[in-house]
Amino acid sequence: MTRYAMVMDQRRCIGCQSCTVACRTWNELPMDIIYNPVVTEGVLGVFPHVHQTFTPLICMHCDNPPCTICCPCKASQQDPDGIVWVDETKCMGCKVCVNSCPYGARDVNAAEGFVRKCTFCKDRVRDGEQPYCVATCHQKARVFGDLDDPQSDVSKLVNSLQANRIFTELGTDPQVYYLPDLGGVK
Amino acid sequence: MAKTVDIHAPDVEVKKSCCYFCHQNCGVLAYVKDGDVIKIEGDPSHLTNQGGLCCRGNIALLHLNHPARINHPLRRVGAKGENKWEKVPWDQAVAEIAERLCAIKAESGAEAVATAGGTLRTDDWARRRFMNLFGSPNSFHNALLCWIPTFMVETAVSGWSPFETDLGESRCVILWGFNPGASTMPGMRGYSDLQKAGLKLIVVDPRFSETAAHADLWLPLRPGSDTALALAMIHVIIYEGLANQEFCRDWCIGFDELTEHVAQYSPEWASELTWLDPDLIRQAAHMYAKNTPGNIQWGCTADQLGKTSGAGMHARAVLRAITGNLDCPGGDLMPGPSHYYITDEELEANEWLPEEQKAKQIGADKFKLTSWPGYQRIADVARETWGKAPTAEWFCEAHGPSVFKAILTGDPYQVRAMIVSATNPVNSYGDAKMTLEALKQCEFLVVCEYWMTPAALYADYVMPIAGALERPVIHNNYGVTDHLIASQRAIQPKFERRCDYDFWRDLALACGQDAEQWPWETLEEAFWYVVYPIASMGYQFESYDDFVEKYRFFYPPMHYYKYGANGFSTPSRRVELKSSILEELGYPALPTWIGPPENETDDPEVAQEYPLVLTTGGGFMPYHHSEQFNITSVRFLRHEPYFTINPLKAAELGISDGDWCWIETRRGRIRQRANVEPSVDPRVVFAQRGWWYPELGPKAPDPYGCLRSNVNVLSSVDDEHCDPIGGSWANRGLLCKVYKVGHRDQVDTQFSIPGSSAQPGVTVPPSEQRLAYEPIPFEPAPGFEVPEGLAWDASTRMAWDVERGLAYDPGSGWLYHPETLVYYDVVTRYAYDPDRECLVDEETGVRYHLETREPLGDDAEGGERL
Repeated sequence: MTRYAMVMDQRRCIGCQSCTVACRTWNELPMDIIYNPVVTEGVLGVFPHVHQTFTPLICMHCDNPPCTICCPCKASQQDPDGIVWVDETKCMGCKVCVNSCPYGARDVNAAEGFVRKCTFCKDRVRDGEQPYCVATCHQKARVFGDLDDPQSDVSKLVNSLQANRIFTELGTDPQVYYLPDLGGVK
Repeated sequence: MAKTVDIHAPDVEVKKSCCYFCHQNCGVLAYVKDGDVIKIEGDPSHLTNQGGLCCRGNIALLHLNHPARINHPLRRVGAKGENKWEKVPWDQAVAEIAERLCAIKAESGAEAVATAGGTLRTDDWARRRFMNLFGSPNSFHNALLCWIPTFMVETAVSGWSPFETDLGESRCVILWGFNPGASTMPGMRGYSDLQKAGLKLIVVDPRFSETAAHADLWLPLRPGSDTALALAMIHVIIYEGLANQEFCRDWCIGFDELTEHVAQYSPEWASELTWLDPDLIRQAAHMYAKNTPGNIQWGCTADQLGKTSGAGMHARAVLRAITGNLDCPGGDLMPGPSHYYITDEELEANEWLPEEQKAKQIGADKFKLTSWPGYQRIADVARETWGKAPTAEWFCEAHGPSVFKAILTGDPYQVRAMIVSATNPVNSYGDAKMTLEALKQCEFLVVCEYWMTPAALYADYVMPIAGALERPVIHNNYGVTDHLIASQRAIQPKFERRCDYDFWRDLALACGQDAEQWPWETLEEAFWYVVYPIASMGYQFESYDDFVEKYRFFYPPMHYYKYGANGFSTPSRRVELKSSILEELGYPALPTWIGPPENETDDPEVAQEYPLVLTTGGGFMPYHHSEQFNITSVRFLRHEPYFTINPLKAAELGISDGDWCWIETRRGRIRQRANVEPSVDPRVVFAQRGWWYPELGPKAPDPYGCLRSNVNVLSSVDDEHCDPIGGSWANRGLLCKVYKVGHRDQVDTQFSIPGSSAQPGVTVPPSEQRLAYEPIPFEPAPGFEVPEGLAWDASTRMAWDVERGLAYDPGSGWLYHPETLVYYDVVTRYAYDPDRECLVDEETGVRYHLETREPLGDDAEGGERL
C-alpha cells in the first residue's frame, strides 16, 4: 500500500513564502484562495536573544478526515493513498466541509461556487513527481513520500524523535509532520 | 482538479529557459505550445536551483502576459509627465531617437548623451559597444552599490576579486552583510546543507535576519560600522598569532607596515563604534582564522556604507590574505577572466573610445578606482597576467548621481540626453527627490522598460523590452569569471517587444555606425560567437541553442594556487596588503578607519536631532529592488511598507505595531508602517527598500507614489558622503528620527544639492563639493638611479633631459628623443650614429669614439660632416 505524507522541516524553512506563490500559479488559483500559507511567529525574545518560527500550513490529508464524512454529496473524498480531494463536478459549495476542517485548509471561491483545497498535486504525484510546493522549495524544507515505505525519507523523518503534528487531540490523525526549529542563534 | 493545460501533450515543447528576476538565473523549464508558454517550472537538473524557484521565479508567466506591460514603442504627445502617448512602429521610433541623439552630439559633443542602467537585466556589453562607438564615456549603473567597488578594491589588492567561495571544502564562512535567506535562496540551501556537515556560519548583520537565525555566531553590529569590525579582526589575527605566517612572508607585501598600522585598531577600540562586545569580536576572529580554509562571502552591504566602504573592502581583502585563504581548496577562489570563451570586455570595443573622451567621464576626477583612471591601471596589469581585462561596463563608469547633478546644474557640463534601460532611478539611486527632478528636467529622455514607471513617465520615448522567457541569457558574473551558464529563449518576444541588444544594435545602425561593427543580427548569433571557442575543449554543438540543449553549463578545469606560476596579478606580483594601485590614485595604501557618513562620534550635533541609526537597502522577499510591486500575486504577500523598530524604543516613542510613521533624515522624510519586534537593537531602525505604488497612477507631485515610502529620499549622494575610492553612497548607517504621521502631512518633493531638507536648491555646485578626504599626493619613486643632470618626472614616470627634450631609457642607459628615436650619450649628449658605430656632436658635426668619447682621427674627420 501507499500512504502519502509530508514533513515540514522548520529547521530549514526561512519563511520566503515561495511555496505559497508557487502553489497558486501552478494550480492556477483565484486570488482569494491559498492552499499553502506560511505562518510567522516572532521575532520574539529580547534583543539580541531572539527567535522566530515559520510554520507552513497545508491540508493535513488526515487519516481520519472530518471533511469527507460530513459531505452531503460525496464530493469530498479520500483516495486509498490518503489524498483527500474534492470532485468539483459534484460539489455544490455548501461549506459544511469548510466548517468541519480544524486546519482551515479549504475554502470556496464565490465566482466558482465549489470547494477548493490542496490535493498534494495528485496529477504530478501519480506521474511520479513531487507536489509542486516540494519541488519549488529552494531550502528543501518539505519532504514528501510514501509513509508505508520504511526506506523513504519521509518515513525516516516521521519516525525520528522530533516529529510533531498539529491538533492531534482532535483525533483527525493528520499526515503532515513538523520538525520544529528550536529557535535562536545556534 | 481540472487543469487548463496539459504539459505532457505531444505538441508541447520544453525549452531550457531561466529566471531573470535576480542574479541567480535559476533554471526554468518552459512548456511551449503554438509559440506561447503555457506553463513553467523549476529545472530539476539545473545546478543552481535544482528545481527550486522562489515567489518571483514562479510568477514568470504573469509577468510575461501582464496587462500593464508596455508592448509597443511609445512617443510622448502631451507635456512631460502628462502620460499621453502614441504608438509608433519600432523602426520609426529608433530612427527618431537616433536623429535627436546625433543632433545633440553635433551641438554639444557625444558626452552630452548619458545612459543609466540598474541591475543585471540586460546584455550591457552591447550598450557599452554603442556608447564607445558613439563616443560618450558617460554610461553608468547602480553598480557602485552592488559589488563593483568591492571587485575593484580586491583586484587592486590581490590581482582578482576572490569572489568564488569553494564551500565544499570550507570550514567557516562569514556572511558579511549578506542575507541569502531573503536574497539568494539557492545559496541559502547550500549553507544549510553544509552547516549540517560542520561548516561554521558567522553572520554579520544588525538585524536578526533569516540567515542570522541560522548562524553559529551572530554579530549584530551598529549599521555602517563594518569597517571597524574588519580592522579589529585584522588586529586580533595579527597580534594573537593567528595569521598564516608562511603565506604572509612568501606572497604578501606590506605585512610589517600593516602590523604597525593596525596596532591602533584593537577590539576595545572597535567596541565603541560597533556596539559589539570586544570578546565577541575576538571570538569571530578566532573562529575565522582557526577554521581554515574559510571564506568571506561578499554581501551588498560592503558597497552601501558611503565613505567608509572602500576601507572596509580593503580590510576584508587583507583578512583573506593574512589567513592564507586565497585560491586554495576551500578558500576564496580567483577565477580570472575566461580563456575559453569570448568575454564581455572583448565585445565592448573599448579601444574605439578616444582618450580625450575618456577624460570627460563624469566623476572620474573624484572617484578614481571605478572609472577610467583606476580601471585602466587594473586592466593593464590584468592584460599582462591573463591577456584579458575585466569588463569595462559596470567596472569603469561615470558616477551616476554626479550625472543627475550635471543635468540639473550643467556642472561640469550640461548632460542633455539620457537613455534609461532596465532601471527605475527614482527608487534605486540615492537622493530620490534630486533624481526625480533630473529626470523631469532632462532635455531628451528615452526609457527602455517593461512597465510605466516614474522614470518612463517623463520620457520622450518608451521602448518595450523583452523579459524573462523572451530572451536567451548567458550568466557569467558580469563577464569576470571563467565559467558560463547558458539559457535559451522559450519564445520570440511578444508584440513589438525586443531585447535590449536589438535596441542598441538598431540604434547604432540608425546613428550611422557601421554594420560591420555590429555583425550579429540576433542575440543568439552574438552568443554563438561567445561560446564558439568552447568547441576547442571537445564540446560539439552547432549553434547557441544547440549548446544550451546539449551542455548548458561550461566549467573549465579547476586550478588552485594559480599564483604559484606567475604570482598575483598586481604590479608587484604579490598580494599587496599595502596597495600600490590605491596609493598611486591618491588613497590610503593601508586600510584606514573612516566613519560612516553620519555617526554619533563625528557628528554629535546631528545625532542629537536624529538619534536613531537607519539601515536599509537589504533585500526582502518577495521583491527584488523596485520590481514586482505591480504583480498582485506577489504583492499580496506584503502589500504595504514596514520598518522594523525595537519594542523598547517604540514604547518610548509611543508607536504601536502597524502605526504609519515618518522616518526622517537631514534630506527628507518618508512614511512606512511600524513593525515592532526585537529583531533590531533599540537604537536601530530597519526600513524596507524599493517601495513605490504603481496603483496610485501618475499623479503629481510624486507619480506612482514614488517618494512616499521610498528609502532613497533619505539617502545622501553628496560627494563628501560618498566613498572617495569607489563612489558608493550610503544606504546604511544613516542618522534618522521616527515619529507618527499626522493627518495633514504631505509628501515633500523639493530637491537640493547638497541634500538638505532645510536648504532647497543648489547651494554648493557639484565641482566645488569636497570629498570625504583630500587625495593623498603620490609621487611614484623612480625604480632606477637617475643620472646626474636629468630630472625625474612622476607623471610620465621617466627621467628627462628637460632642456633638450630627451628621455632616459634605464634599460640601456642611453637617452633618446621620443619622436626621432635617435639615441644620445647620457654624459656628453652626443648622438649615436649606428652606421659608423660612433658618437656625433650634432652642433659641430665632430665625431667621437663610442667608448672613450675622444674625438676621432683625421681619417674620419676628413669625410662628410653632418
